[in-house]
Amino acid sequence: MAGSQLKRLKASLKDQGIIGPQQSKKQKRKNTLDAKGASDKRLNRSEALEGIREQFNPFQFKTSARGPKFEVTTSKPAHGDRSRGINGRPGLAKSVGEERRRQTLLVEMQRRNKVGGLVDRRFGENDPSMTLEDKMIERFTREQQRSHKKGSGSMFDLEDDDDEPSEGFLTHGGKALTFGDGDDEALRDDFADEELPPGDESDGSDVDRKRLKRLRLEQAEEGEGAEEDGQPERKKTKKEIYEEIIAKSKLHKYERQAAKEEDGELREELDKELPELQALLFQRRKPQTEAKDAVLIAGVEKTVVDKEYDVRVKQLATDKRAQPAERTKTEEEKVEEGSKRLKELEEQRLRRMRGEFVEDEDEEMDDTETKKGRGPANVHQSRLAMIDHAEDDDEFGLGAGIKLRPTATELGFDDEDDFLIDDDLVASGSDLELDSDDYGSEVESEEGDSEEESEPEDDEFTKGFLTGANSTAPLSRTPDGGKGSDENGVPYTFPCPQSHEELVEAFRGVEVTKLPVAVQRIRALYHPKLESGNKEKLGNFSQALIRHIKFLGDNFEPQWFPTLETLIRHTHSLAKTFPIEVAKGYRACLQEMEQERPLALTVGDLIILTGIGTTFPTSDHFHQVVTPAMLCIGRFLGQRIPQNLADYATGAFLSILTIQYQQLSKRYVPELINFCLNTLCALAPEAPRNKLGLFPVHEPPAGVRIKGAVRTPIRKLNCADCQVTSLPSPGSDDATKLKVAILSTVAAILKTAAESWHSHTAAFFETFQPALNVLEHLTSKANVAHLPPALTTKLRELTATISRLLQLARLERRPLELHHHKPLAIRTVVPKFEDSFDPTKHYDPDRERAELAKLRAEHKRERKGAMRELRKDASFMAREKLRVKKEKDAAYEKKYKRLVAEIQGEEGHAANLYEKEKAARLKKRQR
Amino acid sequence: MPGTVKDSAAKLAAKRKRQENGEPSKKRRKSGDGGENDQKPNLEKLEAEILESRKHYNNIVTLMSLANESTDPATAFSATEALCRVFIRLLALGNLVSKKDASEKDATVTAWLRERLSEYQSALLMMLYSDLLATKALMLATALLKAVAQYLQDKEESAFPKSFFVDLVDGVLQSPVEELRSKFSEEFLTKYDDIRFYTWQGIKEILAEADEVADEDVQENAFAMLMEVDDVPESSEALENFYVEPPNKKKHPVRSLSQHKKQAQEAWLALMSLGLTRDQRKKVLEVMATSIAPWFSKPELLMDFLTDCYNSGGSISLLALSGVFYLIQERNLDYPAFYSKLYSLLDADILHSKYRSRFFRLLDTFLGSSHLPAVLVASFIKRLARLALNAPPSAIVAIVPWFYNVFKKHPLTTFMMHRVPRTQEERDLLESEGLEDPFLPDEEDPMETHAIDSCIWEIVQLQSHYHPNVATIAKIVSEQFTKQAYGLEDFLDHSYSSLLEAEMSKGVKKPPVVEFMIPKKIFTASDSSAGEQDSLLVNLWDFGSS
Repeated sequence: MAGSQLKRLKASLKDQGIIGPQQSKKQKRKNTLDAKGASDKRLNRSEALEGIREQFNPFQFKTSARGPKFEVTTSKPAHGDRSRGINGRPGLAKSVGEERRRQTLLVEMQRRNKVGGLVDRRFGENDPSMTLEDKMIERFTREQQRSHKKGSGSMFDLEDDDDEPSEGFLTHGGKALTFGDGDDEALRDDFADEELPPGDESDGSDVDRKRLKRLRLEQAEEGEGAEEDGQPERKKTKKEIYEEIIAKSKLHKYERQAAKEEDGELREELDKELPELQALLFQRRKPQTEAKDAVLIAGVEKTVVDKEYDVRVKQLATDKRAQPAERTKTEEEKVEEGSKRLKELEEQRLRRMRGEFVEDEDEEMDDTETKKGRGPANVHQSRLAMIDHAEDDDEFGLGAGIKLRPTATELGFDDEDDFLIDDDLVASGSDLELDSDDYGSEVESEEGDSEEESEPEDDEFTKGFLTGANSTAPLSRTPDGGKGSDENGVPYTFPCPQSHEELVEAFRGVEVTKLPVAVQRIRALYHPKLESGNKEKLGNFSQALIRHIKFLGDNFEPQWFPTLETLIRHTHSLAKTFPIEVAKGYRACLQEMEQERPLALTVGDLIILTGIGTTFPTSDHFHQVVTPAMLCIGRFLGQRIPQNLADYATGAFLSILTIQYQQLSKRYVPELINFCLNTLCALAPEAPRNKLGLFPVHEPPAGVRIKGAVRTPIRKLNCADCQVTSLPSPGSDDATKLKVAILSTVAAILKTAAESWHSHTAAFFETFQPALNVLEHLTSKANVAHLPPALTTKLRELTATISRLLQLARLERRPLELHHHKPLAIRTVVPKFEDSFDPTKHYDPDRERAELAKLRAEHKRERKGAMRELRKDASFMAREKLRVKKEKDAAYEKKYKRLVAEIQGEEGHAANLYEKEKAARLKKRQR
Repeated sequence: MPGTVKDSAAKLAAKRKRQENGEPSKKRRKSGDGGENDQKPNLEKLEAEILESRKHYNNIVTLMSLANESTDPATAFSATEALCRVFIRLLALGNLVSKKDASEKDATVTAWLRERLSEYQSALLMMLYSDLLATKALMLATALLKAVAQYLQDKEESAFPKSFFVDLVDGVLQSPVEELRSKFSEEFLTKYDDIRFYTWQGIKEILAEADEVADEDVQENAFAMLMEVDDVPESSEALENFYVEPPNKKKHPVRSLSQHKKQAQEAWLALMSLGLTRDQRKKVLEVMATSIAPWFSKPELLMDFLTDCYNSGGSISLLALSGVFYLIQERNLDYPAFYSKLYSLLDADILHSKYRSRFFRLLDTFLGSSHLPAVLVASFIKRLARLALNAPPSAIVAIVPWFYNVFKKHPLTTFMMHRVPRTQEERDLLESEGLEDPFLPDEEDPMETHAIDSCIWEIVQLQSHYHPNVATIAKIVSEQFTKQAYGLEDFLDHSYSSLLEAEMSKGVKKPPVVEFMIPKKIFTASDSSAGEQDSLLVNLWDFGSS
């Protein structure tokens, strides 16, 4: 649009028809006659004016500098102002803000430093736009409404009760305190009827009075009820109203029910007819079922049918799907299954051995870096393992729950051992299931018999020791039978020992060799299935039993070993049910060993270590019990500098144990080699002249070297040799025998070690080269003269074996090629391509940082907003103050001027008077 | 033989005191408190009188005799205490200072008082031998020392009464009371710079005197005392903790650090010239680099001692290593064939020694340079790998990360982990004859061992170590070398007990895996007819059944 602002204004005004050439009368009339035109015109006019005003005020709108965006570039469709490219109306916003301030801030400002005051809440009092008439009318209508609401309010409205007198009345306990009304007549009558002297009341106790009052009130109410009929106009009490309501609702309900029943009957009739209709429709009949149904429905009451139906539906919903029945398996299949299970177990063991079942404890290594180095694969695996575990546990719990079986007494078992056998099997069976469950639920299906049969060996074991016990103690009584004891002096019942002291107390008088019987009885008596607390009790018992094994081991006698064996096997069997407790028991022993006598192990400790070796899988990469046990052994072998023959013997025992521990995993134990070679060197009749290897050599105490033992027979070592107290006097024949025994045992150990390690160790050559040196030294002439010929031949054989193995190792040795890794890619710095990239979004990969940035931005925005508001507030306040000041000044000025004018006027008046007077006098004088 | 005489005298004195301690206490108990009560006011009265006027100076003699001859140690002590107060007061009053213009009478009094003072001092020194009173006597003596230094000595020259102090040190060294020495080192020696200075001087003199007949006790005590001092002040300005007001002269030896160092050095040398026992040597070597050598103004003087120790082998040479290193570092000591010597230290016992971690720290420093020949470094690696085969887990745990760091630093040595045969002939040869380890274990020169042509099979074997953590750590050599270096400190200080502790502290939360099969036999032999094999334990051990 060209032209100046004024021209444009005129043009637009003309466009809108606000100004224009004068209309002819005809036209005007036409316009006025137009019905809608009359009112619309003015509206249109003001609207148009507004539009023009807006159009010509460039500051009225906030527009983007580059005009409106193309529609395609925005995802949000614009509407309203936006569509016209207007981003905001600063003037409007400003005036709104101003108005709001005026309403809040200004009021506050004015009220500042003022305390108290009255707020006039009368309707329309502060509304200047209302005329007095309007106010009065409005007030009246409101009052009317209020009273109306009160009158017709719902009867459950607590606010306005019918019963309740209008406000201002006093009440007590919800009752109006009105005296003299008909309502309270009876009450007063009762008072009169009582005919109590007024003084009496004060005498009676408060409680009595209250009780009496209550009584009286009740009576009064009854009286009221009786009197009701006589007084037709009386208001209804609440109770009555409620009763009425209840009666009404019951009636309604009954009516509804009746209607429903009617409907039902109708439907039934229709239903009855339906088969016929169907038959007609489809020309096919299902006479029997229909008839049956019909009969059912006809014969039995409807609700019963419904109920049955519901029950059925529910049953169907919860029912398992039909499963094919388990086929009876043939012998071959059973064997195959057993072998399969064993294979699975072995696979699991191997996985554990490789450390793939990494548990989280394993990961808490002293160096976090190593953990990282192991890579994500292992982490993943460990997580899998954890999941597996969780499932197992769950499964285990379920398994125990499903196998609900009647207790022994219910079944009428009179042989508790039988019962025990059974249950032991259950325990092992569920254990089995626990192990095999990670293969999916299909395995789950095999239960019951198959399990019992699947583990013939275990079965045999339990039977083995139990039948043995049976033969000694034929039991024929219920568990809670008498307190007697069998012919062996083993009582039938025991308290369940919870600590070692209690256990010793309980087993007092029982021969050590009969202990297994006693243990078995305790296990039967306190079987977890019998009572809820038994599980805990047996757990504690297993710990006490472990302590007792150690105790027995410390005070051992040779004939006790079969007993100890059975006891260890008992703990093993207990460990299947109470793995944590048994592990804790063993670990407590280890802890004690470690803290009290790390370098002076007793026979009991040796027995405990043996027990650990048989109870837990020693081939595991990490095991909560075996790893510390192995460390204990290693510590003794590595750090104990032998002081006497007992130390050598203990070391030999531990070496055997070590080899047995590592039988499957074939892990390398440096301490074992050190100990064996050191022992061989120490017992050799002659000290070696030069160094035989890189193992540390401890100079043996005097009198340890074998001298003149050509005729000494070779025997095995036994536990008595491990005790310092039972050592033969140095120099005696027995001592020589012992030395020879140690030498031969250690040689045998070395042989086993060489055989078991030769194919699994990379540095076999380096490891056993010193051994060969030592053996060659032992079989040298100077030494052979002192050793029994049998031993010499054994040593020679061993030498030959080892040198053969060394030769083999040398042949098999290859240079190391450890780093055939895939080359690591250089870390890329190219950002990942985002498919649906949104420039307004922040793509921070670090979630926390992104959140923080978001928060920070928000904070900044809020802060800016708040500052702006505060600034505006301040300017508003300044403006207001200025305005007030100006007003004040103006008022003052006005007043001042008025006064001055007044005075001047007066003065002028006085001057005029004076002048007049003067003139008059002058006139007079002149006269 | 003055030393022995003195010693025997001291012993006698000690014995006498001991007897006193035993018996008089009983006596006192029998006689009741009456005697003591009598003595107390008496002593106080005597003391007060002395201070009142010169007339009563003879009371000093009375007190002295009471102090010396009283059978009751309590009385003797309170007399001594009183005397100490008297003397300090007199010193403060200036009664013991001979003035030029004093009359002859005054001069005699002064002289007499001085005599009494020295008498009293020797009495105090005698008390150092008594079990009960030694520490108290020490406190009195030092208090007196301070007073004497303050009032009696010349301000300009040396303020410290040296002779008395030397006697005091001598007494402390010779006294049988252990507590006395600890008190002395605790309260004075380590606290005050001047006391330390004069103690060294005293020790030097005493030891020089006892040169001929080295009294072992004295030597031992002197050694212990010297070991107490550890930190060296930064500069002469740092010397500010004086017991006795130091002389004003700026250049006085007490104020100079180099003089302090000189005294320390001389004291040590005097001690060392007497010859140290093996244990003492170990102790000296242990703190050599941290608290002895820094005291020496000429550490070169230690060179012979250290090289001797270093060459002597065993743990001594291990310990001497840090001292030698100090000299090399600070004094540019040229130690020929240092690395071959270091290499020779890697013997069978080093990984089992309790100085293992100490050695490793040093070894890490010595082999830290990337300028060392790879052949040499390879020798060290191979040798340590060999040793690791017989090492405890805690040592292996330290060795392997160190290997990693060295491999990173000397890439040439990584052939020890990864060596691919290049030619077909090589492969054929390997196939037919296997591989002889080219490493020469008995070669003493680390440059000639051919270790760089060898491989670390030993570490690979340790990857199947029985301890899971050790095995995992050993595996780092066969993983990719993505990490820059391992912090060695994390791995150095482990032991069997710490490893066990770590295991045991975890607690059992998850049910442990239990062996599935319950073995039929553990201790007893199984039926041979059943065709089952006995376990190794049953085969090799006699459990009384078979």
